[in-house]
Amino acid sequence: MTTEPPSPGISISKTAEPSTLDVSVGPQHPGSGHCRILIRVDGDYIVSADPDIGYVHRGCEKIAEYRNYVSNIPHLERPNIADAIHLNWGYVLPIEELQGVVVPPRGKYISTIAAEMNRIMSHLYGLAIMQGVFSGHTTIFMWAFGDRDLFIELAEMLTGARLTYSFLVPGGPRRDLPFGFEDRLSRLLDYFEKRLVEYDRIFFSNPSVIARAKGIGVLKREDAKKLGVVGPVLRASGVKYDVRKVEPYGAYADLEFDIPTFEEGDSYSRYLIRFEEMKQSVRIIRQALEKIPKGPIARKAPLVAPEGEATGRVESSRGEITYLVMGDNSDKPSRVKIMNGSFRNLIALPFLVRNVHVADMPIIYGSLDYWPVEADR
Amino acid sequence: MSQVSLSREEAIIGKLKARFPEAIEETKIDRARRVTIHFEKDHVQEIAMFMRDELGFDHVKGVAGVDLPTQKKIEVLYFAGSYSNAEVQDFIVILKAQLPRDNPIIASVVSVWESAHFHERETFEMFGVKFEGHPDLRKLLTLDNWEGPPPMLKDIKFPEMGQR
Repeated sequence: MTTEPPSPGISISKTAEPSTLDVSVGPQHPGSGHCRILIRVDGDYIVSADPDIGYVHRGCEKIAEYRNYVSNIPHLERPNIADAIHLNWGYVLPIEELQGVVVPPRGKYISTIAAEMNRIMSHLYGLAIMQGVFSGHTTIFMWAFGDRDLFIELAEMLTGARLTYSFLVPGGPRRDLPFGFEDRLSRLLDYFEKRLVEYDRIFFSNPSVIARAKGIGVLKREDAKKLGVVGPVLRASGVKYDVRKVEPYGAYADLEFDIPTFEEGDSYSRYLIRFEEMKQSVRIIRQALEKIPKGPIARKAPLVAPEGEATGRVESSRGEITYLVMGDNSDKPSRVKIMNGSFRNLIALPFLVRNVHVADMPIIYGSLDYWPVEADR
Repeated sequence: MSQVSLSREEAIIGKLKARFPEAIEETKIDRARRVTIHFEKDHVQEIAMFMRDELGFDHVKGVAGVDLPTQKKIEVLYFAGSYSNAEVQDFIVILKAQLPRDNPIIASVVSVWESAHFHERETFEMFGVKFEGHPDLRKLLTLDNWEGPPPMLKDIKFPEMGQR
């Protein structure tokens, strides 16, 4: 890159090589948060890319050392408002492990239902903005965003908030299923399954989408393993790895579902994998609604955690989130470390946009479903 | 937890101890599927290589720093995981090394685990740990004009965030 950092906004600067130019893309809001990518182009081809992140860094890990365990929940789920339940759950699991609190079965089922609803909402957001708008497809943007709102309304009914729920605290979820919730949710799933067929027709089987995304940004299986990418990006490259199966938490051990994988590893298979995961989420919610046991939803957990450390993980919409929580016999954690899907998938971006057309960069970026705020924390 | 369910954890510890009798200082089975290994910092690359090639831990989930001001140490934690080896896919092996707080230097593992690239950059920035041999050790998250000490150290407080 150039010796002087380019100024913010779009800027172009000359490089030592006469045929190449450095272009600064960002730090405008590309659909999920602010980040900048410095690319070096040779004509229409990207020679190299250097992601410059941190525009939305807010020091979550530092703040967490000064708040008590429960008041950490609202701010630790803020980094990804599209996927708040998973950020919340991953943080709560190690605290429960430290305290030795076991969530009652009904609580686990309610958490699982909320998490899978959140997965559908997050994938719909990705489908609308990251995949729809970035490939210039406005119909799927309107459709997916409209349907996402129906799930948001039900999430509000369950948790009291539309996006940032703070629904899970150590010990279990905050609320039981409200009256009439099961009925409304299963009717919404009936509707949503019909919509998925239409999504396929208008977007996934659309020749213009296929022409735009197929064969673009191929991440081979060995590269995916080497780079340590997670979640849908990993599974689209043919690695069958999902925390819900590998280390079941919540009610996932009791429920039947498949882990969809694709062999191609291109942008189109990363689009499709989220589509297949939404179908599996519908299946999980239906089973959970059927099997949900009666009984208490939560246990009382102490406000203090004993000395020690615990590592917990969940499968979020963007891949595995691992939390390290260290306790020191006080009501505040002495260290919280967040390792989330967006930050781990970031390494794939400079790898994939090498030697592609500039116009393919938004497609690859969108297929990674990269969420800058989650990565920056 | 029964002995049987912990045998896989003990097997990993046994293999590491047999190969590095000097470098492994302390081992702990936190619970099923979680193993913590304390090792001597000079052997980080050999241990990483052995973990990757012999035990199948092909990526790191993260690299974390922990500041221990009372012991005048900075701890570096590597969270190793596996995609390739189906037997240990569900494991997280936490490799821990202690570095002196006034001069924290450790060899980079990027040549072994490419996935550590951005995690090491973050730990360098937040804790001041110098990863020798890292291809591109630059600041990542903080502002370009941040000139203070590494912000995650315990003695750095931000009063505007309510930290006293």
